[in-house]
Amino acid sequence: MRESRLAHLQSAVLDLAFDADAEAFRADPATWAQARNLVSADGRTLATRHERWLLYRDLIRTTLEDPLADTFPITQTLLEEASAWAECVDAFLASRTISSPYYREVAPAFVAWLAASHWGLERWPFLLQLAHYEAVELEVLWAPDASPAIGLSAEPALDRVAVLDPAARNLAYGFAVQLATVEAPEPPPACARLLCHRDREGAFHVLELTPPVSALLARSQEGQALGPALAELGADPVEAFALLREFRDQGVLQGFRSA
Amino acid sequence: MAFTGVGLGLRRPHMEQVAALDVAPVPFWEIAPENVVGQGGARHRLVMGILERDDVLTHGLSMSMGGFDAWAPEVLEQLVAFLKATGTPWHSEHLCWSSFGGAHTHELLPMPFTREAARHAIARVKTLQAKLPVPFLLENISYYAELGEPEMSERDFLLEVLEGADCGWLLDINNVYVNSVNHGFDPKEWLAGMPLHRVAQMHIAGHTWLEAEGVLLDTHGAPVVDPVVDLMAWVLPRIGRPVPVLLERDHEIPDLAVLLAEREQLQAAYEGALAGVAHA
Repeated sequence: MRESRLAHLQSAVLDLAFDADAEAFRADPATWAQARNLVSADGRTLATRHERWLLYRDLIRTTLEDPLADTFPITQTLLEEASAWAECVDAFLASRTISSPYYREVAPAFVAWLAASHWGLERWPFLLQLAHYEAVELEVLWAPDASPAIGLSAEPALDRVAVLDPAARNLAYGFAVQLATVEAPEPPPACARLLCHRDREGAFHVLELTPPVSALLARSQEGQALGPALAELGADPVEAFALLREFRDQGVLQGFRSA
Repeated sequence: MAFTGVGLGLRRPHMEQVAALDVAPVPFWEIAPENVVGQGGARHRLVMGILERDDVLTHGLSMSMGGFDAWAPEVLEQLVAFLKATGTPWHSEHLCWSSFGGAHTHELLPMPFTREAARHAIARVKTLQAKLPVPFLLENISYYAELGEPEMSERDFLLEVLEGADCGWLLDINNVYVNSVNHGFDPKEWLAGMPLHRVAQMHIAGHTWLEAEGVLLDTHGAPVVDPVVDLMAWVLPRIGRPVPVLLERDHEIPDLAVLLAEREQLQAAYEGALAGVAHA
């Protein structure tokens, strides 16, 4: 089926939409079509209507660039100041890694592509972390709700682990991405341990954690009981439990379960 | 519930305002499952509350009915669960393709008007219909260029797919108008002879003229123009049933009050067009 005339035509449109440079098509659409194994009549039609197909290219690229501009204003500003934003978007679209039928997945696909391709990381070592942080707000706000907390205790104990709300994210960055702004888009090189979560009214919050608290939550996520984790981290259980209760009340934690 | 009259697309900027109302300000809403399924949080609960309270029709955006990419099982599961949860009487999608080789364009791209493409679309529609808990409708799209050399007109292509798939028709009257301007035909002649008995729902929307390209673009970003309202009023008595009409607005979204006022005007035109028609 993939060798069909229909498949060749759809494949050619994808090339036109996603290849960074449309110059070859613009200059000689008939030869461009021939190189894509279109039957000659289809190639002629494409050549006759090449201006309208360039319009389709613009429509597709605008549709896919809009969520990037909406989600990554700081990353966009940073790269635009270096005249590199268009090049970055071109490379992303050329990767053809937008695969989800859900439009909201375009921005996460961009972060995944940055992680896989390492695009720009040599020049901007914080780029992936910055983009990841910019995308996390939408991820947290719209994450699926937790299943009813069956078998969870409301109280922390040494033989229990803390259970994060599925929408909360315990994140560690090598750059202080939370300090980056559109006015000053380059984050300082300093470790940032951030707990991103949503409250019961749906508002997004970011808490800056100390290294031991971040590590305690990470160990809980890995299944280590609070007692041994606190001992290894040299942290005071009374203080830690008070903080964990606060997290529970804020909805950051679902509760506590046996290790 | 009987779906009739002029409804409105439920859009994110209006969610809180709509949720705060005691009763729906429209006969029904339309919503895209892709924008709701698999999510959570307070804002999601707000949407689901509206859909539980009010009558809703569902309209898909990205199943790429004319494409080759397989539908992921979890996407189908989420779609089916959502259709059941909303109680929609049918589900619609566009006669177009949007993805190829696993890469999604999120654009409604025209099919080649060929027999091969028609056969392919018919098979895909039948496959999807078999998986859905409600009847399936296909919507005619706006197109700005033929994809490959056509073997038939766009009208005959649509007709062949609707008849071959034996499915319902979501008649987008603005798309008919946009195509008539861009491709130079009489929209009433285009509609005459089409299987209006298959029409279960209509879409109506605004469009934008691109001066530089010399093309009318189906943007859903402006109020509906009079010729499109007139075309809706012309076709409704020929359909002969008070099928629901949905006002779409996806760009340059104004305040809810502005859209509700436009809906009222369309509702008056709708009722005027159907006055005197004996409903079956």
